[in-house]
Amino acid sequence: MAAGDLVLTGLMAVLLVGIAALLTRIENWRSYTPLAGGGTATGETVIHREKPAGIVRWLTTVDHKDIGILYGVYAVIAFAVGGIMAMLIRLQLVTPGGALLGANAYNSILTSHGITMLFLFGTPIIAAFANYFIPLLIGADDMAFPRINAIAFWLLPPAALLIWAGFFLAPVTENMIEPAQTAWTMYTPLSVEQTNPGVDLMLLGLHLSGVAATMGAINFIATIFTERDDDVSWANLDIFSWTILTQSALILFAFPLLGSAIVMLLLDRNLATTFFAVEGGGPLLWQHLFWFFGHPEVYILVLPPMGLVSLILPKFAGRKLFGFKFVVYSTLAIGVLSFGVWAHHMFSTGMDPRLRASFMAVSLAIAIPSAVKTFNWITTMWNGRLRLTTPMLFCIGFISNFIIGGVTGVFLAAIPVDLILHDTYYVVGHFHYIVMGAIGFAAFAGIYYWFPVFTGRMYQRTLGKAHFWLSMVGTNLTFFAMLALGYLGMPRRYATYQFDGAIAPLAQVETYHLLATAGALILFVGQLIFVWNVVQSWLEGPKVEDGDPWNLERDGMLDREFQWFDRKLETTVTDGGEEEEQSALTGARSDD
Amino acid sequence: MALFGFEKDTLLDLTVNVIPLGIILFFIAAFAVVPAFGTDPVFSGLQFALMISMFLLLAVLTYYAGRAIENAEHAQESLEEASAVNEPEDEVAEFEDEDAPGELEDE
Repeated sequence: MAAGDLVLTGLMAVLLVGIAALLTRIENWRSYTPLAGGGTATGETVIHREKPAGIVRWLTTVDHKDIGILYGVYAVIAFAVGGIMAMLIRLQLVTPGGALLGANAYNSILTSHGITMLFLFGTPIIAAFANYFIPLLIGADDMAFPRINAIAFWLLPPAALLIWAGFFLAPVTENMIEPAQTAWTMYTPLSVEQTNPGVDLMLLGLHLSGVAATMGAINFIATIFTERDDDVSWANLDIFSWTILTQSALILFAFPLLGSAIVMLLLDRNLATTFFAVEGGGPLLWQHLFWFFGHPEVYILVLPPMGLVSLILPKFAGRKLFGFKFVVYSTLAIGVLSFGVWAHHMFSTGMDPRLRASFMAVSLAIAIPSAVKTFNWITTMWNGRLRLTTPMLFCIGFISNFIIGGVTGVFLAAIPVDLILHDTYYVVGHFHYIVMGAIGFAAFAGIYYWFPVFTGRMYQRTLGKAHFWLSMVGTNLTFFAMLALGYLGMPRRYATYQFDGAIAPLAQVETYHLLATAGALILFVGQLIFVWNVVQSWLEGPKVEDGDPWNLERDGMLDREFQWFDRKLETTVTDGGEEEEQSALTGARSDD
Repeated sequence: MALFGFEKDTLLDLTVNVIPLGIILFFIAAFAVVPAFGTDPVFSGLQFALMISMFLLLAVLTYYAGRAIENAEHAQESLEEASAVNEPEDEVAEFEDEDAPGELEDE
């Protein structure tokens, strides 16, 4: 048997070497690239079309803008999947006995909701903006490594399939392979002892998404360092690029560690190693490794949205960002300090109190740079000429939610408070204020702000505002109720809560769960409107004919991406030519 | 005032990171003066190593970021000065050759 394996491995190696040799013999890799004069190096005349048509364009593209759109579509689909999972969770908890699901199904959905939202929505939606706009903002022709960029994206669909594999495979394998039920933190020994192969598939998917994120990060670092236009220096680099640069550095240090920890977990599960067994490294080792990745991950997800808000908010406040350099330096500070706070997720594990104290110190220190940014955003709006467009509303919503999410986080950084609130809904409310209330809102702000650029059309403003208000009310209702539930002692992750009324006020807990579910329904309706608005406007919305749809020129804040958009509009030749040259210049300017 | 070779304006910008540095420093001092949980070579060592390493990393990154941004500003200013003065074309070109690649226009 072993000899057979060896032969197979050898054959596979020969095959791979053969393919590599074949690839190196193809000399004319770039034959499709036209020369400036219209011909190719071989002297043939080719009819140059910018991109292949149809689905082939999307499968083969290495254009940063196309890849950005692919990331965006992917992230929105993941957001929909994660959102439906969230709705199932909320509907389940309407009654103490659980209204909808069995405990296993609930655990599966809870696990997948977390992983989907963080890894398949959060990171990709940021990559969507970064791919499309970083090269435009810094005056680069494309990303530094366009093909790596494409590979990084194309690793994500298989990652999603692996992460969700249990849901597809459970019905056809008679529940031999089930969805993972480990929660997104995959704590050992639970994650080692669950024999379900669905957990292995999920771990592999997660690993793949980590590889994708790391490749993307390397690409962004190389792009921002080496591909900047001559007149873009460190002194005038835009704030979104700064945050993406910092985020990429965090990814570079954090994700490989997650990958290693996942491999160790897979080995423990399948090859009986003892990395996380009591007789080996111990279960706490997993928590240390996971959170050494996990806390920087929080900032990986929140720094670019902060950059988006710092970029978009001034445009509709009519003033330049107050204290631009404060925001830059505080971004860098968050980047460094985020690696020194991981064990504040582990205060209640019984670790040494001296260590705990030092993690508390750094956790309190990291609150300052975030607070500095908040004050900068507020000061930017102070006495500004505010225009309450949809992107601006989402920016303001971001700040409001970020304050609540941030302040509740400062409480949790204090050990005595954390010991009481740990593993309750207070923590869930706190981080959802950040991940939905802040990160989600900034993503919406970015989508609406740049909608004219990537679609060439305008969204429907009334629907945009309806989306904002439903999201704002829904977010605050859902997650504020969770903060209250936490104070009442409701533990997180439970599929049911039929506890003794003497332990906690069950009636109140049920009421707050109902409120949270009502809020989630409001949120859900808002997101339906969002999807409708985006899809319909993309297909049928009024075409933007002005390169400055937000009227930013007036305040001298027309950034490079809109200048690029303007050039694109002016140089686009309509089939048959323009009847009137004026038509390109008389677009609908919008202050609303 | 030229602390660490920075100009006053840059120093003012950098104060934003001095505050978290100060907080960490405060806790280092506080835990050193009042070791509420006693001292232990391993755990106290780790405790202070964590805080001190974060302090140093943040200080070093802040320094280099400040330096990079200040240098970039200087380069930009000298370009602007060069383009503001109405010099004959050949002289400007000479300046460009010496140390400032890129365009001389004020963007």
